[in-house]
Amino acid sequence: MAASTAPQPDPSAIGRIPKPPFAHVPGTEALFATRAARFEALAGGGHGLAPYLGFLAGLTRVQQQVAAAAPEPAMPSSGQLERARTHAMPPLDRAGFSPDATSFAIVAAVIEGAAALPMPAEAGAALARLQSAERPTLAALIGNVLANAIPPDEVAEHVFIAAALQVDFARRAAKLNAADLQPVADGVCPCCGGAPASSLIVEWPRYEGNRYCACALCGTMWHYVRAKCTLCAQTGKISFREIEGGGRVKAEICGDCNGYAKVLYTAQEATLDPVADDVASLALDLLLRDEGFHRAAVNPFLTGY
Amino acid sequence: MNMDISRRRFLQGAGAGVAGTALGAFGFGGVEAAYAATVKEFRLFRTTEARSTCPYCAVACGMMVFSAPSAETGRMEVVHIEGDVDNPVNRGTLCPKGAGALDYIRSPQRVKVPMYRKAGADAFEEVSWDFAMERIAQLMKEDRDANFIETNADGVTVNRWPTMGFLSGSSCTNETGWITWKVARGLGMLQIENQARI
Repeated sequence: MAASTAPQPDPSAIGRIPKPPFAHVPGTEALFATRAARFEALAGGGHGLAPYLGFLAGLTRVQQQVAAAAPEPAMPSSGQLERARTHAMPPLDRAGFSPDATSFAIVAAVIEGAAALPMPAEAGAALARLQSAERPTLAALIGNVLANAIPPDEVAEHVFIAAALQVDFARRAAKLNAADLQPVADGVCPCCGGAPASSLIVEWPRYEGNRYCACALCGTMWHYVRAKCTLCAQTGKISFREIEGGGRVKAEICGDCNGYAKVLYTAQEATLDPVADDVASLALDLLLRDEGFHRAAVNPFLTGY
Repeated sequence: MNMDISRRRFLQGAGAGVAGTALGAFGFGGVEAAYAATVKEFRLFRTTEARSTCPYCAVACGMMVFSAPSAETGRMEVVHIEGDVDNPVNRGTLCPKGAGALDYIRSPQRVKVPMYRKAGADAFEEVSWDFAMERIAQLMKEDRDANFIETNADGVTVNRWPTMGFLSGSSCTNETGWITWKVARGLGMLQIENQARI
């Protein structure tokens, strides 16, 4: 008797309640195109940070163009991917990443593209320093960004590099099969091992109301239990803060670690973007900093918070 | 668990102020300062999302219970209930009864204290928990003393209390079920209703 061929009961096939997919890898051009459109909409809506949001909209358009034109990235060998899978390690581990020719090509393209954007003198000066930088200098900057160790006196250079790395990692992540990704650790991207920028309560058909964390580096989205700290994985002392009248973006606060990360409710506004709306809701960060909570999320465009 | 915090805390602690932030470094320090000044006007609003279990039936669906401060009293109150998407039993769904649980919580008829109707009386009156527990224990004791069966017709020890049943809750946990069983069986009861059969 071949017992394994017998039909297996699958209660999720009954009705409308399938198990949500664990991970969703980015479609790179769409990722940056959607984000740029969101930045543009936010900048045009009379926002207090409109000049900065407009600058980031331009930078994200550059990311989109570079993502479309960059050379194909080299992927880890099937042996390396299999080993990562066996030991529940991120397949594109940011901690063990060394930039290759594709990475430097993307960095150069982002620098070149950004140079055409209107920007304040400080940003222009940082970009000029990057334009004249040699590969070893760029490699050191890349290392700092991947280690989340951005020196306070060189933030602008590092954020440009972070923008280039988002393109590089998103293109690599896009080549992975999402179904092969598996949980690595709580609050850690299953693709690159990074921290989330924020999380989304999605309204994907049949998966409405599920929460997905969005990686700040590679753009991978992974399923994460709601009302659970993305930093320390505790569930006991979770509460939320929102600015009165604005229920679309809430800060999920953990009383155990005193950290918080933002949750975006796409049912309230479908175009919310995990990176753009994190920047646009800086008011929440400013108010929570006064209350003594610390930011658990990573977003290069909000470095320093 | 991500370990990026200590470094960022250090940066924040280093207090480079505007110079330490991306906005300041890109030359948007003025925009940042003006924005920060307007933000002081905003008021933060505390809400909660708590997990609970539907009280109605033994399927025991997971619920997310949303609370927010009441506009009148300022006290937290339940404002919304939906199925818990992370619960493997119901994955975010609720039946019409469960979906209407908000009205059950707010119902003016909701029983929040022990109520007692004396024999022969036509209305319930509010009593203390102590009174209720004493009264139930006393009636159970009297009934058990009168009807307990130690041995059957053949002289075999059976320790039955056939005249009393025990009704427990459908959404009780395994642990509560275990204690229920120990208490009820320990007293000799045979009819235990846990509603755990759907």
